[in-house]
Amino acid sequence: MELSMSGNALKTFNRCITCLARVGSELVFQASPSKLELHTLNASRSAYQSISFTPAFFDTYTVSSSPGSSDSSPDPLQCSVLLKAVLSVLRTPAASVDSLAVTLLSAEAAKIQFSLHCLHGLKKTYWITCNSEPEIQRLSLERSNFPSSLVVRPKDLSRLLSNFQSSLHEITIIATEPANGPPDVIGDIGDNNDAKLHTQLWIDPVEEFLQYSHIGNPVDVTFGVKEIKAFLAFCEGCEVDIHLFFEKAGELVLFLKLSISHTFYYFLFVPVLLAPRFGLDDGSSSDFDANLVLATMLVSQLVEGINRDQHSLPTDGPARARKKEPGEPSHTPTGAENASAHTKIWSDLTGTAARNSQNSRENVVQQEQQRNPINSAQDVAQDLNVNAQCKTAGLQNTDNLPQRMETDQAVEPQEFGGNHHSQHHPSNWVGPEDDDGDEDDEELFVQSTPDYN
Amino acid sequence: MSTSTGGGGGDDDDDSPDLVCQLDCIQGMVDALSSVRWKRHQDAVIELSEHGIVLIVEESGCLQAKVYLKRELFISYNYGAEGRPRFGLSLGLLVDCLNIFSAPGNASVIEIQYPCPDMQLLLKSVGSPDSCLYAEIRTRIPDTISWDYHFEQAGNVPPTFTVKSAILKEAIDDLDWPGSSIQIIMQPDPPMVTFRGEGHGDLQIEFPYYANTDLLIAFQCDRHISSRYKYKFLRATTSNFPSSVLKENRSSKVTIGRGGMLKIQHLVSVAKPAALNHYADVQPSRIAYIEFFVKPEEDETHSYD
Repeated sequence: MELSMSGNALKTFNRCITCLARVGSELVFQASPSKLELHTLNASRSAYQSISFTPAFFDTYTVSSSPGSSDSSPDPLQCSVLLKAVLSVLRTPAASVDSLAVTLLSAEAAKIQFSLHCLHGLKKTYWITCNSEPEIQRLSLERSNFPSSLVVRPKDLSRLLSNFQSSLHEITIIATEPANGPPDVIGDIGDNNDAKLHTQLWIDPVEEFLQYSHIGNPVDVTFGVKEIKAFLAFCEGCEVDIHLFFEKAGELVLFLKLSISHTFYYFLFVPVLLAPRFGLDDGSSSDFDANLVLATMLVSQLVEGINRDQHSLPTDGPARARKKEPGEPSHTPTGAENASAHTKIWSDLTGTAARNSQNSRENVVQQEQQRNPINSAQDVAQDLNVNAQCKTAGLQNTDNLPQRMETDQAVEPQEFGGNHHSQHHPSNWVGPEDDDGDEDDEELFVQSTPDYN
Repeated sequence: MSTSTGGGGGDDDDDSPDLVCQLDCIQGMVDALSSVRWKRHQDAVIELSEHGIVLIVEESGCLQAKVYLKRELFISYNYGAEGRPRFGLSLGLLVDCLNIFSAPGNASVIEIQYPCPDMQLLLKSVGSPDSCLYAEIRTRIPDTISWDYHFEQAGNVPPTFTVKSAILKEAIDDLDWPGSSIQIIMQPDPPMVTFRGEGHGDLQIEFPYYANTDLLIAFQCDRHISSRYKYKFLRATTSNFPSSVLKENRSSKVTIGRGGMLKIQHLVSVAKPAALNHYADVQPSRIAYIEFFVKPEEDETHSYD
């Protein structure tokens, strides 16, 4: 395989390698006459990224079919190198490089050659050793398999993510039908059963996303944040929007077949797919494309209570009573890996009633969670609603202190009776007299919107 | 300020210091001395003469660096010794002291005097009537005679090339990846200089003479020459350039001498900051010369006399 590139293609290639390096440590090249694919898998096998280039991306691109393969379906020429080594090659700033040429003589070649012709006349030639026993991954995804998707600008997504603490490992997106209310993004930080900070962000898709489509019951997906940020930086640099495809937890399942030293490993995971979005329609009009597949938790964070909640939502009509609604337990399954066992998710209830009521947030909120016997066994955790500062206050006992609830709402979908949309409106604050009935419940839980006094 | 002697008056010749000089561009001197500072603690040998001050640093018998501060760099230079006194001191200490003097707000002229009654080197800030900064640095007798790297020309046409310091630094920084031992090859046809490193990966950097008139400013070589040098010594020759070298687009001259000895020369300006704005106007006398000598690795057979 021989190829060369220059100018903007080189800058894009740099960005691709940087993004791949943030995901995994080994890079697999797969070159066929119709395209060049680079992919990597992260160490914990929870993120897979692949970037493919058409020949038009390069100044020159020639691949000879590997011997022994039929002409009709040639095996792609493949080799695997360490991403760190490729990063060393690309250390020279792209601005001072005239062109980059990559040569791989054959599938059995011991080294892959990168030649950089610099503007001031230097010629740098790197030979990187190919891994003798590469991990070759095979994964293909059809975007149409995913029922739900959203498109967001990288800047907007990074602004939304900045509401969560930077040490966040996993994030949950809970998507509801647009008619029912805005979806949520939830972050949990802390170890397993001991989540110290829980952040929840309501997002109005109309305001924040370029496109949002979701039909049916609320679904949630939980996945790692680190790779998202890498992909974000990549899309921002390429000036494209991010298209995120997802499916209900547990539904769509993918097999990842990994071959290491002639042994095959299969991984089963539920994917979330991110891809850059070129142009207005879904057909990519660019000469390169990227896919980032993230494994999500197999088990949903939302529980069967959600379905019941759905029915109980008033789709029209009067303000909900302030009184607590019994019997709406919502707990996270204890079997889930990093589930925040103390999170009770009310999100789906928020927007709907709020939207429909005159008195903004009084509606749903006061649902007192009945103590779920399972949860009672778990540790007390502190839940705070954080308004973009993500500060952890001391552990508080709800019994004693009035809870300050501020919702971090991106934008209000509608005005509630005019001027109730400020986050600092008194209606946001739960007064002491509203702090009712929690005495027997040691656990703190997230209330979607506080009661309006 | 007159160049008055510090200790006992100028009556007795034996008591008068060997050198009293004044310098107005302390930052430039710091830059020049820092460029040969590749380790935290380095012992330097300073040699005084009527031509100026020379500071010599070396490491493990394989790498030597010299900084020449000619007398024209100083506002005043009073040399009263016979012969060339040599003394040793810590380079780091000297540079750190000078940094204190060059901090903004301090008087911009310092006076350097050697020796004081106890053989110290004295640094004193002058020019401010209200206050005075004063530093004494202990010196010692240099216990190892500085290894004068006999640099001999190899043949009638010494192989040499001149390249922009920034590009040389970039090339040597890139060679960090293969590391270990770097081979420098010069060949007359086609005229080219090549740096090669092999390790867990290979890197070859070529400086073709005809590629670009700005790349190799000068090139002279009549036969194929190749020698190997340890990467860490090569790196020390460019790792601590002051920013003025890159800003002023200085060039470095590389020569390979007899036996494969490598000599790299840099220029660092020791001019007052105001003067630095006019690149072309920096007078030649306001430049410090830096020389590095790197011994080749022993196992290489050299392809010339």
